Amino acid sequence: MDVAKELADYAAANTTAVLDRPNPIVIDAGLLAAFDNTPVDADEYGSNLNTHLLALTLTSTQALISSLFTLPTKSSSSGPITLLPAPSTLLPREKPLPKPKPLTKWERFAKEKGISHKKKEKHVWDDEKQEWVARWGKDGKNREKEGQWLTEIKAGEEADQDPSSTARSERKARIAKNQKQQAANIAAAANHSSDATATSSRGGVSTLSQEQKKNLRERRKEELKRSMILSKTSTASLGKYDKAIKDEPKVKGLKRKFEPTVTNKNDFKGEKEHALDVLHKLETGVGKVKKSKKGGEGDEGGLNVRKAVRFQGKVDRASGGGASAGKKGKRK
Amino acid sequence: MSMLRTIKPKNARVKRALKEREPQVVENEKTAIFVRGQSTSDIVRNVMKDLYALKQPHAINFSRKNDIHPFEDTASLEFFSNKNDASLFVTGLHSKKRPHNLVFTRMFDGRVLDMLELGVEGFKGMGDFDSPKSSVGIRPLMVFHSDLFDTHPKYQLIKSFLLDFYNGHALSEIPLIGGIEHVISITAGPLPSDHDENTDKNLPKVHFRVYTVKLLASGSKVPKLQLTEMGPSIDFAVRRVQDADEEMLKMALKRPKIAKSDVESGLGKKKKNIETDSMGDKVGKLHLERQDLSKMQGRKMKGLKIRKERSSAVGAEEMQVDDEE
Repeated sequence: MDVAKELADYAAANTTAVLDRPNPIVIDAGLLAAFDNTPVDADEYGSNLNTHLLALTLTSTQALISSLFTLPTKSSSSGPITLLPAPSTLLPREKPLPKPKPLTKWERFAKEKGISHKKKEKHVWDDEKQEWVARWGKDGKNREKEGQWLTEIKAGEEADQDPSSTARSERKARIAKNQKQQAANIAAAANHSSDATATSSRGGVSTLSQEQKKNLRERRKEELKRSMILSKTSTASLGKYDKAIKDEPKVKGLKRKFEPTVTNKNDFKGEKEHALDVLHKLETGVGKVKKSKKGGEGDEGGLNVRKAVRFQGKVDRASGGGASAGKKGKRK
Repeated sequence: MSMLRTIKPKNARVKRALKEREPQVVENEKTAIFVRGQSTSDIVRNVMKDLYALKQPHAINFSRKNDIHPFEDTASLEFFSNKNDASLFVTGLHSKKRPHNLVFTRMFDGRVLDMLELGVEGFKGMGDFDSPKSSVGIRPLMVFHSDLFDTHPKYQLIKSFLLDFYNGHALSEIPLIGGIEHVISITAGPLPSDHDENTDKNLPKVHFRVYTVKLLASGSKVPKLQLTEMGPSIDFAVRRVQDADEEMLKMALKRPKIAKSDVESGLGKKKKNIETDSMGDKVGKLHLERQDLSKMQGRKMKGLKIRKERSSAVGAEEMQVDDEE
């Protein structure tokens, strides 16, 4: 019996016979996959599982292979290569679609005005040297004026200037300007993308309305302003000697508000409430200054001993004839 | 993401490597990470080993245990995903409640998209089959049998997961002769008669089989097939499932608009250094590394010989000492 079963298994393993399927097998050649949508036969599945699985696989694989062999091919040095169509099964991507690169300020302007991009060649023709020279960089054309042995001074220009150093500083200024613009463009792009990622990192997709985005921006602006004010007053001198930044936000303190001393219409309800509120605060101790734990006001009736001693020492040193000064004198 | 420091590229190589990780129109093949939980069984480890071997070379194996429970906390998976630029996970676990557990996780944009839990109920490893194996990096064929893969939501997810895992990266071309070596066959059993649709218990098993394919001459253009089981052979029980967030899935399923001509010529990837000249010949540019001339053998002369005699070496040392003094 056992031998017979093994023989049957062997025969099944070497068979190329294909099962009959009532539903056609769906092929996705782009993903090299086939889907057999016929329900699995319960009897066969229960009795001899592995043989049935092999038969099913053979059937669907044969269908897949035969459809692959009908696809167009191209020749190559190592034999024919089959060109696969785009996949029909939708599978999720790994990362979202790339966002278009944000335009620079110039690009935005050019787009608005309809200016088309003209690519500058890296090399320019030098008529004097009769050869192509670099536009910038090593031995660049833009340094030409710096190396000239003779420079023409136009009418109205100062005669006692150093033409080569002026040319150099002009070139350096151009570079600095360009770098500044570049940095501004990068910052603007980062700001733009952080707007998008800040929202997408939570919910996956930016579903905020225009108004919500504006609120977010306002809030961030407020936060920035606050942290700036805080940092300005975080120096030892509370920002007294710091240079003022252009358009620096002004610190607005709280304005004191006074209740009117005389209320009209004999409305004393508010006054009464206010007085009761004060009493309540006294009773419960709301807003009471807590005793500091270390080195602060001690048991001696609110006197900070450490501070007092230090203060006294300072006064003594200032007057010059203190006890401490006398001590020092003795030591000498 | 926040746990990782942001790298500012200091040279072109790093810049290029970072650019590879950015979102792309035509994506790279998804990398899978195989990671073990705190307690695993021998069976789970062996199953992972074989699934890893099939997924090679786009797979990373974590050799250490990690305290991961994907259905409770996904933070560490997200960290691993961002660190390794991988978006597929297989986590092996074993507990009394869920013995021999495998959790498949898919990521989108560095966050968990969906999860699928399968239990291993029968396993025969690749080593247990005395048959030739497929080569590393060869794309398998995949076949699915059962109507459940089209109708039942859990099985639809299984189909999507396994297809994505081994064949998710669409190829534009493949050599049929020599390019096909094996087929992964996935079959769901028939629905039992006592199946209750509401509780969704007693779901049929999913059978994972791998066969090597041998193409035989048939006399026509289409060859006949002969299949030999190469392993692994795994019977999965379907357990928990976590479906994708609808918005996130919508984003993940967005297709880029690629011109048809681009699709035909290399799927949107720029081909560098290959041109066709005016005569219609394909011309390639090769960049070679700089030749190391220091090791080149020049003309041999007695005077230029490097002496290895001991006496000369000692003499050199003495000279050095003299110099220092």
